[in-house]
Amino acid sequence: MTFAVELGLDTLSYSLSLLLVSLGLVIIFGLMNVINMAHGEFFLLGAYSVVAVQQLHMPYWLTLLIAPLMLAVVGLILEELVIRHVYHRFIDTILATWGISIALKQLIVIVFGPTSQSIVNPLPEPVHVLGVVYPSFRLFIMGVALLISFATFWVFYRTHIGLAIRGVIANRPMAASLGLNTRRMDRWTFAFGAALAGLAGAVMAPIMSVDPQMGGGFLIPAFLSIMVGGIAHLLGVVLGVALIGTTGTVIASVDTQVASQVAVFLLAIVVIRIWPEGLIGRKR
Amino acid sequence: MLKVGNLVAGYQTGSRVLDGFSLHIEPGEVVALLGRNGMGKTTFLKALMGHVPVSEGSINFADEEVAGRKPYEMARRGVGYVPQGREIFSDFTVEENLLMGLLGRPDLPQKVPDWAFEVFPVLHERRKQRGGSMSGGQQQQLAIVRALVGQPRLLLLDEPSEGIQPNIVEEIGKVLARIAREQGLTILLVEQNMELVLGMAQRCLFMENGAIAYETSEVQQLRTDPSPIHRYLSV
Repeated sequence: MTFAVELGLDTLSYSLSLLLVSLGLVIIFGLMNVINMAHGEFFLLGAYSVVAVQQLHMPYWLTLLIAPLMLAVVGLILEELVIRHVYHRFIDTILATWGISIALKQLIVIVFGPTSQSIVNPLPEPVHVLGVVYPSFRLFIMGVALLISFATFWVFYRTHIGLAIRGVIANRPMAASLGLNTRRMDRWTFAFGAALAGLAGAVMAPIMSVDPQMGGGFLIPAFLSIMVGGIAHLLGVVLGVALIGTTGTVIASVDTQVASQVAVFLLAIVVIRIWPEGLIGRKR
Repeated sequence: MLKVGNLVAGYQTGSRVLDGFSLHIEPGEVVALLGRNGMGKTTFLKALMGHVPVSEGSINFADEEVAGRKPYEMARRGVGYVPQGREIFSDFTVEENLLMGLLGRPDLPQKVPDWAFEVFPVLHERRKQRGGSMSGGQQQQLAIVRALVGQPRLLLLDEPSEGIQPNIVEEIGKVLARIAREQGLTILLVEQNMELVLGMAQRCLFMENGAIAYETSEVQQLRTDPSPIHRYLSV
């Protein structure tokens, strides 16, 4: 029973932070048709902002502000310098963002070295939940991720800005003909997606091994979640993340990491084979 | 209101779908642009809206040179666009579609005004219904009002009668003619349906090979002497 509760909580905290990464990725893809291969490195930069803050002997909590802000700026700069020039060439966006991803990874190696860094747990006192002793920081991660995900959904489906973004996704030329500055919306959406990934990196850093390769470990499951869930509605991503996150965490706890990876890929292949548009497919 | 001089434009660099196209529209005028398929009518509207690049010539709107402006800049300057095929947001409700006509307009209140639901009563009845669930004619009415809520000075309509039952075409014609008369709205209508043109237009321009080939202000005479229609419109 204890094992089950712990596993449930672990699954939830992993899935929720995966959701933060995936939401940014899917909104950028939906709006700009850009597959952002550098999204994992946005997560990485967020995690290393925690390392930097720790080396400067400043409180961890600052990173919850610094990481998203820094990544928003990084997103704005990269969008301006690279992405906007290759928007209309789909394959080139993959190559260009892949290049950005390699460059950012190497930048981290140059500044912080190739070895993994350990982060001091900012909430060392465990708490009692449902009869188990559980790290309170993981509960904190869930809280932050839930809050930010709800806020994202609310903006996307309940505000005028969200309606405008969905309008551009549905029909870009028409939205522009009605007066929407689609360029500006692209830029800020990209920055917002980058900020979400940065925040995810900052909240996950204390419970992960922080090393220059960690970005890919989140990018791939995020992609799989999006493909499994579909891109017609943000709820598809929630579904995809729940499936991929649960499968990965559960199998890893009873078997090896390798078995978990195999199971996750198998699941993705089967779902995509049966529902090519994802579980919540695009309406035809 | 609108002065276009020797416009050359096309989808790729060097292509001349519009080839020396000129026209002049006075404020408050309702002008019909006619011609066979492929003569450049839609391309002109797109070039005017900034969707198609202009390689030569000028577009002067409300005493300002606007050739090469982006679509959103044209909308904010007061050009309302109802494209061919309506292009409504089919997953959005009627009300959300109308709101889309305002979200790109920081100069206007971000709330759909009550009159928008009264222009065509069906929009009031279907206010909360998905745009895509309506008939073609109702979608056309929605697209027109979506442009009107942006309070345009010039309204561009691209084949509003296409694929729509005749009684709705008639209703659209009457409503637009009344708005033009009462509010002084300038309208440029691209059409092949002569009934709608004869009911609304004060001037007809006939287009051939990317330029205006013939024009007449005696619109009603086209009923008795349809030779320009035969010459420039019939196959």
